[in-house]
Amino acid sequence: MANLKEIRSRITSVNSTRQITAAMKMVSAAKLRRAQDAITQMRPYAEKLQEILQNLSSALDVSENPYAAQREVKRILIVSITSNRGLCGAFNNNVIKQAKTIIAQNPGARIQVLSIGKKSFDVFKKTDYAPGVGYPTEAYKIYEDLNFADASSIAECVMDKFEAGKLDKVYLVYNSFRNAAIQILETEQFLPIVPPEASSESTSQIDYIFEPNKEEIVTELIPKSLKTQFYKAILDSNAGEHGARMTAMHKATDNATDMLKDLKLTYNKARQASITNEILEIVAGAEALNG
Amino acid sequence: MTIEIITPDKSLFKGEAKGVTVPGIDGSLGILNNHAPLITALKEGKVKVTNANNEEVFFDIKGGVAEVLNNKVIILAE
Repeated sequence: MANLKEIRSRITSVNSTRQITAAMKMVSAAKLRRAQDAITQMRPYAEKLQEILQNLSSALDVSENPYAAQREVKRILIVSITSNRGLCGAFNNNVIKQAKTIIAQNPGARIQVLSIGKKSFDVFKKTDYAPGVGYPTEAYKIYEDLNFADASSIAECVMDKFEAGKLDKVYLVYNSFRNAAIQILETEQFLPIVPPEASSESTSQIDYIFEPNKEEIVTELIPKSLKTQFYKAILDSNAGEHGARMTAMHKATDNATDMLKDLKLTYNKARQASITNEILEIVAGAEALNG
Repeated sequence: MTIEIITPDKSLFKGEAKGVTVPGIDGSLGILNNHAPLITALKEGKVKVTNANNEEVFFDIKGGVAEVLNNKVIILAE
């Protein structure tokens, strides 16, 4: 049986680890709330935008838009959205694995991976898939202060490349947020745009005046809706990260508690054994003297 | 009429107003009560809201789109 001192120091170390994981869980819970708020803030904007766009595109052919151009797929960009930090279970690994699956599925194409989040960045920076010149290199800094302007500047960069014909297809790979315990891995085709389903029972029969005209509004709106989609993916991933970390840390805390219980039992057993031993020795010594 | 100015990050303004002026792509547009349904693209500029007390409130936007319907103006700004 391990000696008392060893067990005691293990108890101390497990205990302090447990304190850390418990604290991290609380921090993640607080951050999760903030991240969820950000999603709720954006929802009215995204919904209204979608509604207007749907109103318009039922009457218009969107496929002529430069962002809808279908080309032979030779150059693919994967936007892989992970977190900057670890300790959140399989959260980042899932995304990276999915990105690698897409790479494997397209052997003939030139593939680049634009990483948002350090975890993915570290995996791909030394490979052939690291993005070439002209892409934001420090895209992971976006998490320091998540806002629409920064996200849209990255989206704009990707959209420009697509418009210029340097990319034929763009995928978004990210974890979408369902609830604190569940994140669902999503692979979305970002570009070329998938035309919105024209709702048959036209959402509005209202006779709008369009200023300046429908075409121009649509060309205005499509990039906006793309940027919103991009931003939403990042927000979702951000909320998902905190949710995943919260769950992971909760489990870690539980495990540490179990371990502490076991260790304490072993410790007490060892303590009692050593006391019994001592008594035995004393009794034996006394016997020997008497004898 | 009610006016709502929303950006992806937050809601900038929501409330009753007498009128609003928005920077349309082809020039400034003033919208008053009972305006016909309208959808317009906006360019960079200032949105001027005249609230119930005749005070003018300004918001800087970087472009966007505005919808007017049934005395409700929704401005999706950036």
